[in-house]
Amino acid sequence: MAIESRRSQMLRGVLDLCLLAVVVDEPAYGYEMTRRLRERGLSTVGEGSIYPLLGRLEREGLVATHRAASDGGPPRKYYSASASGRRALAEGVRAWRDVRGEVDSVLATIEAEVTG
Amino acid sequence: MTAFVKECRQEWKRLGVPDLLADEMAADLEADLAEAEAEGVSTAEIVGESDPRRFAATWASERGLVPEQRPQKRRRRVWPWVVVFVFIVLFLSWLALQTVGTSHARNSPPAQVPPARRATVPNLVGKRACRAEKIALAAGLIVRGLPRSRCHSLVVAQTPAAGTRIRAQAPRSAVKLRLRARR
Repeated sequence: MAIESRRSQMLRGVLDLCLLAVVVDEPAYGYEMTRRLRERGLSTVGEGSIYPLLGRLEREGLVATHRAASDGGPPRKYYSASASGRRALAEGVRAWRDVRGEVDSVLATIEAEVTG
Repeated sequence: MTAFVKECRQEWKRLGVPDLLADEMAADLEADLAEAEAEGVSTAEIVGESDPRRFAATWASERGLVPEQRPQKRRRRVWPWVVVFVFIVLFLSWLALQTVGTSHARNSPPAQVPPARRATVPNLVGKRACRAEKIALAAGLIVRGLPRSRCHSLVVAQTPAAGTRIRAQAPRSAVKLRLRARR
């Protein structure tokens, strides 16, 4: 399996948490969220895009939206974590940490060898 | 409007996304892509998809603006099964009739068909008429038209001749005797 494909698959399960995380404190519009993800170290979201995922979060009521003028640009649609979105984020982060810990425990015994 | 956004807009229209929402999505995407481009980020990095129609369809679907495309159930053709069913019914009916017919034939008494018995005509010539009649009856034959008054008459000829095999107890199997009164 290609590394990029594996990365995409792993991200797919937690990208919604990442999106909620970047709007939990301050609302952001689409590209601004991409920028925040990049600033926190997630430069690419792999295959796909944040837009369909934002659409799902909106449909499920995990984000609230409003339109507002952006700095010097056209009015943008801003997303912010709703109350249920915050709860989902808290639960998701806990689940992620559990899974990460379990997977780390299993993979810790593997000695990776990288040859140049 | 960029070509990518334009195609997205067309796809949303095709999918039946309300114009207001489609315009809003197109405007947001357009603004985001312009901002990304200004920062040196390509459209592909933002949308992660080279096919605008697929991107648009996925976005609209995830937002719940269009019904999710479910795999269409294959419509099964019914008529071949109907034909098979009819054939089976016909076959079973035929089989049932055959079985009943055989069973009926087995259970019913055998037809009263007289066995095609044959008898050899005995020699009656020179016998008294009543004696000849007894011999003929014993052989399974019938003597017709013999009055009691001619019981002692002598048989002088017979038809058919002695030794002939005729069908016994059949209408045309009677033996005719020529009698001569005893003097």
